[in-house]
Amino acid sequence: MAEMQNSNPTILNAADLPTRLRPTVTRKSEYGGIFTSALPLTPVDFESDPPSDSEDDNLLEEPIDEQEIYDLISSISDPEHPISLGELAVVSLPDIAIKPTLPDVPDSPLQSVTVLITPTITHCSLATVIGLGVRVRLEQSLPPRFRMDVRIKEGTHSTGDEVNKQLADKERVAAALENGALMGVIAKMMETCH
Amino acid sequence: MSALQTFMLVVDHDKEEAKRIAEGIAHDIETRKTTLIDTVQSLGEYINDEDPILRGKAISYLTAIIQALSPKYLSRQQIQVLTTFFCDRIEDGGAVDGLQALQGLDRFNKFLATQVAQALFSNFQDLQSRSQTQRFHVYQLLNDLMSNHRGAMRDMGDISLLGVVDIMTGEKDPRNLMIVFSILKVIMIEWDISNHVETLFDSVYNYFPITFRPPPNDPYGITAQDLKGRLQECISSTRHFAPHAIPALLDKLDSTSPNVKKDALSTLIACIHSYDPNTVSKFSITVWEVLKFEILNAQEEFLSETSLEALQAIAQRLSEGVTEVSPELPLAKYLQPITKECNEQLQEPQNKQAKPAQSILSRVSAASPVSFVLVVQTVVPPIFTLYQEADGIVKQRALLETLNVLFEAAITVFGQWTTRGGEAAIENPLLEFKDQFSDLFGQALMGAAKEEVSFRVTALKGFLRLSTLRDFFQENEIGLFVQYLDEILIKEESVGRDDLKKEAIAALAEISKHKPRLIVDITFPAFVATLPEEDEGSDALYMPTLETLAQISVERDIFETLFRRLFSKLSVLLQKEQPGSVAYPRAILVTLLYVMQQRNMEQDPSVDLYFDKVVVGLCRDVAVSASGKAKNQVLKDPTVLDTLGRLCNLLVRSVSTQKQEQVAENVYSLFSSPQDFVPIPFTQTTNADQERTIIISTYLLAGISKDCSNKIPHTDPDMSGLLLDLVHRAVSSTDPATHQAYLRHLALLVNKFLSKQDVAIAEKLFDSLLQSQDTESQSLNPATIRTIFWLSKALILRLAPSTTHILTSLLTILSSPDQQTSATAAQGFSIILGEDDILSANNGATIRLLCRQRLFTTVIPLISSRIREVNIAGTDDSAAAKKSPDHIKPAHLTALAGILSTIPTALVMPELPTLLPLLLQSLDLQTVDSVAVRIATLDTLAVIIRDNGVVVIDQCGHVQSLVTRLLKTTSTSTGPGAVNSPRLRADALKCLKLLATHQVPGAAANARAPPGISPLLPVKAQVLRSLRAVLDDPKRDVRKAAVDARAAWLRGVDDAPEEDE
Repeated sequence: MAEMQNSNPTILNAADLPTRLRPTVTRKSEYGGIFTSALPLTPVDFESDPPSDSEDDNLLEEPIDEQEIYDLISSISDPEHPISLGELAVVSLPDIAIKPTLPDVPDSPLQSVTVLITPTITHCSLATVIGLGVRVRLEQSLPPRFRMDVRIKEGTHSTGDEVNKQLADKERVAAALENGALMGVIAKMMETCH
Repeated sequence: MSALQTFMLVVDHDKEEAKRIAEGIAHDIETRKTTLIDTVQSLGEYINDEDPILRGKAISYLTAIIQALSPKYLSRQQIQVLTTFFCDRIEDGGAVDGLQALQGLDRFNKFLATQVAQALFSNFQDLQSRSQTQRFHVYQLLNDLMSNHRGAMRDMGDISLLGVVDIMTGEKDPRNLMIVFSILKVIMIEWDISNHVETLFDSVYNYFPITFRPPPNDPYGITAQDLKGRLQECISSTRHFAPHAIPALLDKLDSTSPNVKKDALSTLIACIHSYDPNTVSKFSITVWEVLKFEILNAQEEFLSETSLEALQAIAQRLSEGVTEVSPELPLAKYLQPITKECNEQLQEPQNKQAKPAQSILSRVSAASPVSFVLVVQTVVPPIFTLYQEADGIVKQRALLETLNVLFEAAITVFGQWTTRGGEAAIENPLLEFKDQFSDLFGQALMGAAKEEVSFRVTALKGFLRLSTLRDFFQENEIGLFVQYLDEILIKEESVGRDDLKKEAIAALAEISKHKPRLIVDITFPAFVATLPEEDEGSDALYMPTLETLAQISVERDIFETLFRRLFSKLSVLLQKEQPGSVAYPRAILVTLLYVMQQRNMEQDPSVDLYFDKVVVGLCRDVAVSASGKAKNQVLKDPTVLDTLGRLCNLLVRSVSTQKQEQVAENVYSLFSSPQDFVPIPFTQTTNADQERTIIISTYLLAGISKDCSNKIPHTDPDMSGLLLDLVHRAVSSTDPATHQAYLRHLALLVNKFLSKQDVAIAEKLFDSLLQSQDTESQSLNPATIRTIFWLSKALILRLAPSTTHILTSLLTILSSPDQQTSATAAQGFSIILGEDDILSANNGATIRLLCRQRLFTTVIPLISSRIREVNIAGTDDSAAAKKSPDHIKPAHLTALAGILSTIPTALVMPELPTLLPLLLQSLDLQTVDSVAVRIATLDTLAVIIRDNGVVVIDQCGHVQSLVTRLLKTTSTSTGPGAVNSPRLRADALKCLKLLATHQVPGAAANARAPPGISPLLPVKAQVLRSLRAVLDDPKRDVRKAAVDARAAWLRGVDDAPEEDE
């Protein structure tokens, strides 16, 4: 690898990153806490229904939100450090937005995701690669009705406009993805996605 | 023909015959039929022959004779003559072996050893041009000389040193090198090498790094690691090598190959451990300068880890014999640049480089007490300053983390309160800062904003370490920390994932091991005071308190207190007219149960006390309550009885046989007198409350040993009456809990207590239950079916003689034309081998190892052929074919799923070709009723794929059909009446992901595909397309599973697999 551009970035504690707080499991199954081990589930028997997701729960829809986008991309690793984009604060929850693509057509399912990237230093030449990585991850993980817009956050990069142009240009993105070496780097970045 | 000529003829192709000839001659010599001189002279015409092969054979003849002679036969003079003879002809084949035989003799002397060595050194200058075997023999001779005549060799001094180096130079064969390295190591350690250090060093260092790779099927079994080990021992053998070895090894760290770097580092560590401290000291700072780079710019985790180990090893060596701290110490000089560098990195402790700096400090400070003092003196004061000036909580947290690292090292060096022995002679340097730490961490823990969870957690961990550190805090200072923890747990609201509370509980549990008194005195009163007298609400506020108490009460003293406190709460509750919700007393019982499960109750000296209070006392209360004489209904509640039963069960298992016999006698009377309580069996006048005591009786019965069976009431002369009574009660009982208890009670008696000769009683009962079916509709009522299945379970687990008959009978019920009967029976198959808390190995149930096998091999073929019959009948339109009712196939698939869920996959695998089509048909079911079956099927499939990879499915030819069905199961847009629940969709996605990640059997997740084309490739496009739609599933968990599955297919299913590097 070439000389590192930023060998000593600030790192956020993984425990401090935004996460989705699951509503504490409704304790209808008696004890949700440590005592579950003391009292094993009622033994397999005839009447016992499978711990079925009840009808109501099944109908409740959970739309894709910013946190979900964040969870998709924050675990990508930085190409320079074996540290996640979330921990490096390259991506952050407030810099993700989901909006209807056609606000005038209320029934349209089309949605646009905007992700703003904050490089760790302003002259980071890997910003484009990171941007591409985020884009590829989203394209692989979001349904087709989503439009992606991945950009460098304003004022955080010396050649931000240049990079943005590259990231927004479909042709150039497609060409970049044909490049084996580049795809290798991106695949490596995404290995840590979980 | 002479013996010699015969020998020379056969020696090439018949070793045995040659040996026999030599032994014959040796015998002749020993019995004086011939002489050694004659034998040697008989060689005359051949040993001067021009053909080296002939010469060699002649010499071998002599060698073979010498080897065959008894060790004491040859005289000193003969040995001398022979040695000279062989030395003169040392280049001829067999001479080296002859010498090897001679040098092993007792009469071989030092002088001769020198002569042989000389001959070797002067005649084998060209050794490397000879064959591997010849070289091997020469090395072996040398090696034997080294071990048998070490003194003679050493006295040769430089001659033997240079001689060995000369002849081995250029050696490449791994087998030979193994010997050469061990010879050289002896020379390096024992010879005076001062004039030839570099020569010797180069002779071995030329081989570094070892890149040898054993050929496949290598018969000698020498690994690269073996060679590396021997070479490493040579390089690290003597401090004289240090000026050559250490710079050379450090240079190797410039290599681009991680393996070379790893070898260099581990050799460096070996040198540090082996060279003397003065030598280590000379190079210590140089080593640090180089290794610093490896740690701060870690490329590979293991390289930085090994580098840290090296730094620690140096600190350890330099601490040897040091008892007083002084800046003049070599150790201090070594640590000075290290702490300086780390201090610089820690100026911005939240940055990436701070982590490695912390690791460095952690390792060097943990090396020894002196090392710890030196590090603390330079590192701790600046941290306090930085902390005061820190501009944000992120930085402060990072500083606390650095301190925590040092606290951890302190524990390594000075031990914890519970550590025995090994007290350090030097005072803990942290003591100087004790009050500052207490303030700082206390302030951080209790003074920070409540949302700063990770900051507070860091402070908590630091405080905890200091509290467990031996001879550090006073009791009252740890007590203060305990109060903080209590306050966090009792007073504070939950924040986020409750990390702080979890840590606080863990911390109290940790302190309870070191200072149990503090927990009993401070935490217990505070927590118990928050427990209500009774509880009416449904929000169960007491639960967190009970959970915490349970987790900190595993230590013996604390448990006694917990038991006393909770038992008195419970006693008070049981006396109340208005005891509130039964959930509260039950939770108290669960708490006691949980802690007892964590402890080894058999070893607890107070177990008899607990037994008297719980088993005798509370069981009596249950009897009183069942007779309607209690103040409230608490002990009539089936859930309370169940929990109490488990508690009794555990205690009964832990007490002596005498006590268990008592329990056996009272298993139905529950320790009550006949006036107060009428035991269940055989009474006519029972009510529901009274019958419910069977729950307790069952747990008691489960706990007692088999040997007590003659003490159980109503079992004389045999159990038939008791069993029959229980069967009647089981079949007719309407209360679910009571019904369940009867079933298990019956099963326990039959499985655990019924003697071998009486098994027929139970088998007869089984048959009579079968006969109770309605002959016309072939239907059985559900309660009877359940009884049949539990009875079957009891008999099958002990592999009763009638096991096959039982299984076929169960299948007959499954095929009943009555839908209800068939469906109930289908669910029963999972019971037979299913885990049960009562009929368990823990409770001494008879569970034969082969019962799974037996059930599987008996039932699966029958189910499989039945389903095939149904399928064929379904396609056959001719009226002649008798069509089975529609419910038969789902019922059989349900039964199959039930059985598979209780059978280890290893047993399933051989039958996979038969099973897989059945599993696929299960996935074809669509209705709501089939969700459970399909979930069970997906579980089974997941295990099969995880353990065996895609290969096994490909071998059965079902990849395409499996993938198609899995994809269908992930879809939300199903036909009318069809249901794919979210759980089902997510499980199907997990299976799809497993397919892509486990293409090789047993491989870890993400293993690369094997060379060759993946069997998944033909369906890849189909999978990716279908999963794209699933990415829009309304449920988040399903979408997550879809993302993972899709990523796994994108990554793992490749048409051009990469070559293994």
